Amino acid sequence: MSEFATLASPYSMPAALHGDVDLTDPSAESRSRALNQFLASVELKAFRIAQAALRHEDDALDAVQDAMLQLARAYAARPAEEWKPLFYRILENRIRDMQRRRTVRGRVLAWLPSRHDEDDEEPDPISQAPSPEPQPVRRLELDEAMGALEQALGALPRRQQQAFMLRTLEGMDVAETAAAMGCSEGSVKTHYFRALQALRAQLGELYL
Amino acid sequence: MNPVEQGLTAFERNARTVLEESVRRLDARTRSRLNQARHAALERAQARRPLWRGFTLMPAAGAAVAAVLVALTLWHRQPASELPVLEGPHAAVDLELLADSENLELMEGGDGSFYEWAAAEGDNGASAS
Repeated sequence: MSEFATLASPYSMPAALHGDVDLTDPSAESRSRALNQFLASVELKAFRIAQAALRHEDDALDAVQDAMLQLARAYAARPAEEWKPLFYRILENRIRDMQRRRTVRGRVLAWLPSRHDEDDEEPDPISQAPSPEPQPVRRLELDEAMGALEQALGALPRRQQQAFMLRTLEGMDVAETAAAMGCSEGSVKTHYFRALQALRAQLGELYL
Repeated sequence: MNPVEQGLTAFERNARTVLEESVRRLDARTRSRLNQARHAALERAQARRPLWRGFTLMPAAGAAVAAVLVALTLWHRQPASELPVLEGPHAAVDLELLADSENLELMEGGDGSFYEWAAAEGDNGASAS
């Protein structure tokens, strides 16, 4: 089991080694480059994971950027093989913070009289228009499957969704997922199994 | 089937395919924003470092400077001068002046007449004795 898996709370992070790596130091340039490469390798999947949880593009981008900054600032000195679980742990904390803020904001706004939000953007007619290019059948199938999966994922409890996305999209094993989620490997297996059950029940065994 | 997918059910493989495809299809604008966010995060982390390091050294440096100042102060400190002792023939008069608030008010008047009067009284007292 990874050392992270023993951490009980998802909010309890390993102690940051501030100052151990000075990214402005020429001797640490290779580490800085490695960190850049690592972040580049995970940013797209991280964005999709955040987007699935937050269902908002800008919020997802903010969460990913915050996680990148926190990792670079506080955990760059950790061994590179620990970056991925740490990064996803930080990202999960950001997602939770944003969801909490949203909940509070929703409660406050529920007491206010409804009004037309001037910031609401009108849908872009160009982006709404169907593409003139003929789409292959396969692409349409994937579009439909993606929409159905996103909808089903949105209905999952957060921990189940997290376990499913980390295992399925990011390809983490159980130990890495446990480290990223801040729980035991047994909990990861339980969350993942329940997520699979729920998705199968909603989407069918062979939906693609 | 790649080794990673071995042991996965058909459902899991399909789900992975769909999710990976959704990542591949992320538009250029989103990719660009993520790229910018990454560089901004790394730059901010780098820019923050010297400032942070300065702050970490500040308490130690401050403590050292304070210790040196205290040592210098103690080293060069003059022994406290002894309090003046009221002696001599005018001791009783001085005490009376200090204890009498009326005299103090006269002294604080600042017009100089009291001092002239006191000097004249002193001369007279000395000549009378």
